[in-house]
Amino acid sequence: MLFHERATALGSIAGVVAIIFLVGQQLAILFGLLSYMSFLVDNSGADIWIKTQNTNNFNASGTIPMSYRDRVMGVEGIEWAEPVVIGAGLVKLKNGNFQAAQIFGTRRPHLVGGPTRFYQGSIDGLLDGEGVTVDKLDLATLDFPKIGDIFEINNKRARVTAITQGMQGFSGFILYTNIEKARELVSMSTDRCSNVLIKVKDGTKIEEMRLLLQQILPKAEVIATPKLSKQTRLYYLQNTGIGSSFGLTTIIATIVGVVVISLTMYTNVLNKTKDYAVLRALGARKIDVLYIVFLQAMYIAIIGIFVGFTLLSMFLFFTKDSGLPSYLPWWMPIVHALGTILLCILGSTIAMRRAVSIEPATAFR
Amino acid sequence: MNNKPVIQLKGVARDFFDGKQKRRVLEKTDIEIYPKELTILSGPSGSGKTTLLTIMALILSPSEGSVIIKGEDVTDLPENKLATLRLKNYGFVFQNAALISALTVMENILIASTVQGGSVSKLLHQRAEDILKRLGMFEYANIKSEKLSGGQKQRVAIGRSLINDPAIILCDEPTASLDVESSTIVLETLKGLSEEGRSVVLVTHDPRVFPYGDRLVQIEDGKISSDTGSQIND
Repeated sequence: MLFHERATALGSIAGVVAIIFLVGQQLAILFGLLSYMSFLVDNSGADIWIKTQNTNNFNASGTIPMSYRDRVMGVEGIEWAEPVVIGAGLVKLKNGNFQAAQIFGTRRPHLVGGPTRFYQGSIDGLLDGEGVTVDKLDLATLDFPKIGDIFEINNKRARVTAITQGMQGFSGFILYTNIEKARELVSMSTDRCSNVLIKVKDGTKIEEMRLLLQQILPKAEVIATPKLSKQTRLYYLQNTGIGSSFGLTTIIATIVGVVVISLTMYTNVLNKTKDYAVLRALGARKIDVLYIVFLQAMYIAIIGIFVGFTLLSMFLFFTKDSGLPSYLPWWMPIVHALGTILLCILGSTIAMRRAVSIEPATAFR
Repeated sequence: MNNKPVIQLKGVARDFFDGKQKRRVLEKTDIEIYPKELTILSGPSGSGKTTLLTIMALILSPSEGSVIIKGEDVTDLPENKLATLRLKNYGFVFQNAALISALTVMENILIASTVQGGSVSKLLHQRAEDILKRLGMFEYANIKSEKLSGGQKQRVAIGRSLINDPAIILCDEPTASLDVESSTIVLETLKGLSEEGRSVVLVTHDPRVFPYGDRLVQIEDGKISSDTGSQIND
């Protein structure tokens, strides 16, 4: 009965599409930003991180002695332990402007935690003494540097030796370099580093190793990579207003969607009062009328979800290689679809209440 | 009498509350409806004839009195059971047909059998086809009901009332806004249904309908003012 009134049906479907697309793209951007926040941690390839104590965000970590690495190297079950230097840099562009960047220095020759995807060049570019990478997505902002171009970072010389692809950080551009160059750029002494990254051997339990390393290094914090990743994302969510901003937008989009669904479905029931009354007179029970409205809500949900996810997929496809962070974990569309179905049911409750209240005697008026 | 009544109303009255005071729209009424009979309920607007019809239809509950269907007192049955009783025993022909415009002619016929759920069996579909053929509407089976003329719609409405093979068919002004030719077809069809053994009750204020009735009940001011009585069952 709903689909006979095209405008009403389209209105309801538009409500679902709004929920799926608007909420979905907000979530995609949020998850994209979240992945940026913890990108360096997630991309490290390490199982365990050693960092300074009392920091809840790896970007805000201080420095630790290089000797920590030596103390853990001999522990049975460790495959490798590599120091990294992370710090802030100010890049002077060819046009004279400055851009903030995050410098990640990794030790040669293994270059653990370094970039994995390249647009031009390769990770060997970091073997160069003054080599740094820039990312393809940042080329325009960095005034289109080419391989071989010289940069000034924190008033020190660096040379572009590779262009990465999709290596995006949250606090500025990520410039990968070797650990020596990183120390020079961020003015860190050779006996210090930001973190020590640990990879355990196959068959070694990460948590047991973490506890053991914590005993060996009581003045440092030894933390599993997933926990550090989560801790970092949570820090930004709670302290930057991103969480509340995205949350509010998501709630508003949801409310708008539910209101549109509610109004259009309710209007439809009002317009079809006589039809529902006839059905009741013919022998339909209240539960049968309820089922009819519920079924309509489900049809609307399914069509709206299909259209909404098609639009969302297009959005994700076209923003894949753009500077716009967009990423949806595999489970998110399932949760989003189920949530939307629930919202459709919620949105149709007013229509359901109205439909079951229609008296069969109305058919005789 | 050679037949038992299918509907018995005993001392049935109905009050309505208009927000300020209670108003009795149907005085205590006794009436019995028999099979094989086309009973016409007639009277001026507001006389209470539709109220009487909806009480017979188990749609409106009486304020007083009892309703007996096929010998069973159903006055105090819960709403769901009354709905099922309607589904199994009643067919309805409403004013202006009241077909569901979103559905085709065939779907309008079938929906009367599936309003409480369930699928459409081949047998049911065949039955719907037979009804449409009988009413001369088979060629319109897959047409949206909104595209039909008034007379065609009313024939489909009669078809819908027949799909569950009911013992009782209640009609509310079935010829209102129909031309003479269409009215004649509709009335002859209803007359034929009563002759098959069904009880047909028809509410109208159109005197042209009276010749088709086996019994004429006149209602005025909420009371039966005259009743010709059963012509067949006496």
